Amino acid sequence: MSQSGEKKLPPASVEFGSREWVEEVERFEPSAVARTRAESARRAIEAGGHKLRWQRCDPESDSGAHLPGCRKLYLPLDAEGASAAPHGFVFQLVKTSDNTLIWNFVAFGERHPDNPNTRTVYERAHKRLHGHYP
Amino acid sequence: MATAVKKLDLEVGELVEVGGRRYEVVPSREGGVTLEPPITPVSELYAERGWKPASEEDFERLTADDLPPDGEG
Repeated sequence: MSQSGEKKLPPASVEFGSREWVEEVERFEPSAVARTRAESARRAIEAGGHKLRWQRCDPESDSGAHLPGCRKLYLPLDAEGASAAPHGFVFQLVKTSDNTLIWNFVAFGERHPDNPNTRTVYERAHKRLHGHYP
Repeated sequence: MATAVKKLDLEVGELVEVGGRRYEVVPSREGGVTLEPPITPVSELYAERGWKPASEEDFERLTADDLPPDGEG
């Protein structure tokens, strides 16, 4: 039981939809560091057994991204500290047609891109959730 | 010989196809517009799949043990 007395839900599985994956990860060349890092992280998540450092997204952030119902993982998954993890995955909690809760992959990208024209992973997640950039 | 410039009258949100690849017209950071590979919104994806965003209550209960937000997004 949680402190509020509500019963905790069983963990929800992670889903990588094919369209989201193509748009977020396969936009990079096959040999690109970003893509191989995302592919490696996905394999580890789907294999299970890896301690994942889940972190809630900010419902509102300084960047203007509004990501309610979302959590994130920094990549590489085994990075020592956030500063050693330049990329991120963002997932949204959704309910499927059979009332199952899953974490749906919505965005992948750089957390703090050097190129000012590159969208951050949070901006990409906002775009996917709301249809426009913050 | 000067290269002919093909001018496009495009608005934000429109899709164009160049060389077999699709791009979306989006606002640039400089106040103009630019082309980027499209990001399909969840409203469209979830409608196709019969999904919907979970409730805030479910989210709170499933993330009780998560690290708190760190302010970056």
